Amino acid sequence: MTDIEYIRPLNLKEALSFLWEKGEDTKIIAGGTDVMVDLRSDGLDKKYLLDISRLEELKGIELNNKELSVGAGVTLSEIYSSKILKSNALALKKSAKNFASKQIRNIATIGGNVAHSSPCGDTVPALVVHDAKALVADKKGTRLVSMEEMATKAYMSCLSPRQILVKFILTPYQGGFTDFQKIGRRRELAVSRISMAVFVKKDKDGRISFLKIGLGACTPTPCKMESVEAFLTGKIPTENLIWEAGGILAGNMIKITGRRSSAIYKEPAVQGLFMRILYPVVKS
Amino acid sequence: MVHIEFTINGQKAALDIPADITALETIRSLIGLKGTKEGCGIGECGACTINVDGKAINSCLMLGARLDGTTVVTVEGLATKENLAPVQEKFMENHGVQCGFCTPGILMSAHALLAENPDPDHKEISRALSGNLCRCTGYSQIFVSVKEAAKLTDQLNQLKKVGG
Ligand SMILES: Cc1cc2nc3c(=O)[nH]c(=O)nc-3n(C[C@H](O)[C@H](O)[C@H](O)COP(=O)(O)OP(=O)(O)OC[C@H]3O[C@@H](n4cnc5c(N)ncnc54)[C@H](O)[C@@H]3O)c2cc1C
Ligand code: FES
Ligand code: FES
Repeated sequence: MTDIEYIRPLNLKEALSFLWEKGEDTKIIAGGTDVMVDLRSDGLDKKYLLDISRLEELKGIELNNKELSVGAGVTLSEIYSSKILKSNALALKKSAKNFASKQIRNIATIGGNVAHSSPCGDTVPALVVHDAKALVADKKGTRLVSMEEMATKAYMSCLSPRQILVKFILTPYQGGFTDFQKIGRRRELAVSRISMAVFVKKDKDGRISFLKIGLGACTPTPCKMESVEAFLTGKIPTENLIWEAGGILAGNMIKITGRRSSAIYKEPAVQGLFMRILYPVVKS
Repeated sequence: MVHIEFTINGQKAALDIPADITALETIRSLIGLKGTKEGCGIGECGACTINVDGKAINSCLMLGARLDGTTVVTVEGLATKENLAPVQEKFMENHGVQCGFCTPGILMSAHALLAENPDPDHKEISRALSGNLCRCTGYSQIFVSVKEAAKLTDQLNQLKKVGG
């Protein structure tokens, strides 16, 4: 059953030209940690496997002029050990900490995580917090796609078969308080049931002056939680207030997903996780 | 078919493989090195762990074609003609092995860990081995074995320095 052809382009241009002609018949493979699982379970209804794992244009983490860029081909291990991310996007670094296993982090890429569009993608909440835009290219040009537009539904990205995700452009944040947490069935190799990333800054009076929230695994596609951010901004974070905001967050989630059977578990769990992740801001 | 050339356990390999087979199938069925095991086949058990360019990866999740141009070490490549590798010796000594099915993968995760971090603490060992399941040992002997292997590696390195 192997009439599949393996193609390894030498550069991005070559890859994009190939996709322009044969994108419909092609499966892009980066780390392969999602693709190989699918290949094993369902086979592949494509003619070509396009290996983009060695494309230099997709590598590297850079900070210049207030713009932080993370290549789509950067691995989770590289994210975890990046000094630039440690000081400019700590939530993203933290999301790589308990991602799958060491073996998987060594090859799985952030581009694959986002393009796969699983609601449980662990890098997504941090990308939402950093207002990330994906730079998407095809043979004719490039465009920027926000994280909210990236997935059209669960497991379905907005990318056309001719496009490659090149890099993510993040707003860097220094200082403040930031964290990523996930709840899974077990600690290692667990698919996130709920994940959350936050970034908070307080002014000199202890009021929240800036807040970003990314909620993962709870909604089919990534969405902003601007009403919760607005609710807390300008206020002094007390335990009660954070609890109330967590309630609004859980309510927003239910509005998006409808009241499914898992809501009995997820609604209080989202509120509880919000309390847990922001508790250090209350105390300090 | 895809033509690949790479180094495996210090030797050059050149062969043609189907485009859609895994590195695991390439190494076991085509090259004939059966030390690397297939457990789950989907990245969850770590039995298939090998080192590619010094990094531990699951060979069941890597496309065989991606081996082209790399340097691979499998469990067969750990020992020299004269000696077992420190990880192998210490796993035997400390009962880190029972049925042995997980062992090749765990040795390769441990080997990559010690190359990167010669003196790992309990937490670091746990993180490096979290993708390796063992149904027999309960892990505590494995932790002892890795710690002892780290010490032995250090001693051997000291000796080498003195000798050279
Ligand atoms: C055992 C196991 C545990 C896992 N645990 C986690 C976990 O804890 N958290 C988590 O979030 N995920 C987890 N995953 C899922 C997976 O590892 C991630 O989604 C990973 O980031 C995918 O990246 P990749 O490079 O391997 O993608 P690939 O498998 O190569 O590709 C994934 C998809 O994205 C497309 N694609 C890849 N790169 C690009 C690009 N640059 N442009 C356009 N399309 C592209 C591919 O065509 C494919 O459809 C796990 C998977 C396994 C097998
Ligand atoms: S066989 Fe590869 S991880 Fe289980
Ligand atoms: S020794 Fe049997 S699975 Fe580990």
